[in-house]
Amino acid sequence: MKIAIFPPNSLILADLVERRGHEALVLQKEIRKRVTDVEIDSPPLNITAEEPIKGLKYAAIEVPSGVRGRMAIFGPLIDAAEAAIIMEDAPFGFGCIGCARTNELSMFCLRKRGIPLLELHYPTTREETMEVVNKINTFLDGLNKEGESNG
Amino acid sequence: MSLEESSKVTRMIILGPAANISQPELIRKLHMMELPLTIKSTCYGAVVNGEESVVNKAVEQARNLDYCNIFTKDRGFPPGDPRRCRAKRGGAREGFHQLEKEFELLGFVSEALEHPKKVSLKKPTKISVDTFKEIAKECEK
Repeated sequence: MKIAIFPPNSLILADLVERRGHEALVLQKEIRKRVTDVEIDSPPLNITAEEPIKGLKYAAIEVPSGVRGRMAIFGPLIDAAEAAIIMEDAPFGFGCIGCARTNELSMFCLRKRGIPLLELHYPTTREETMEVVNKINTFLDGLNKEGESNG
Repeated sequence: MSLEESSKVTRMIILGPAANISQPELIRKLHMMELPLTIKSTCYGAVVNGEESVVNKAVEQARNLDYCNIFTKDRGFPPGDPRRCRAKRGGAREGFHQLEKEFELLGFVSEALEHPKKVSLKKPTKISVDTFKEIAKECEK
């Protein structure tokens, strides 16, 4: 199954999803398409003027172009997701997802999709981490069983 | 960027803090696989770049070296890309601070993977007022 993760660039989430045989919809795959595209030749920019226009599918015109540009990257991942894992309260500026409004909109879009969803808090201690890992594994195993029963 | 390069994928192989294998050993094992890959040695493990099927094969074999302590993730930019490479820009690469932050938890993640436990995903629900009254009455006795 294709699993959307949030933060979409999280090592722990992506790794755990792949360990259970699912495909993690990570941000890096979308970024790769843009930075290795032969048509885009303007380093260090990897966003073109097209992105805020594509982002209109997810956010209104009055929303800042930064949010729309980001949504043009996150949006296709959200659309392709068959299940999702959201880890809230990740450390501020977690990689390249430092835009709080985009994060809120992405999480809202994931919740609105009506797909199987697991919501967690970013762990800070040993106990919390172990619980989070066990919960993610239980959730992913449940998806496997669901997939098998649906044929 | 050539067409050939644009079809390649990059993956980071990260050694957990309790890994039984050292970083130079990992690099040596990756080279010993004799796969058509670009392998870059890094402080956290390695970055491999190549065709998707070959990279996946290498990652799978690398993971089997120490299943619970070797982690992998995708990377958008190819290794040594002048837009991201530390050698050209100076300072930490974007994404390194995130990796550093997540690395703090990797030891606990490995522990959880080694000793899995069954947990319930159901959220605790609120008890009814009647039940709460009964409990309050019992406490008063």
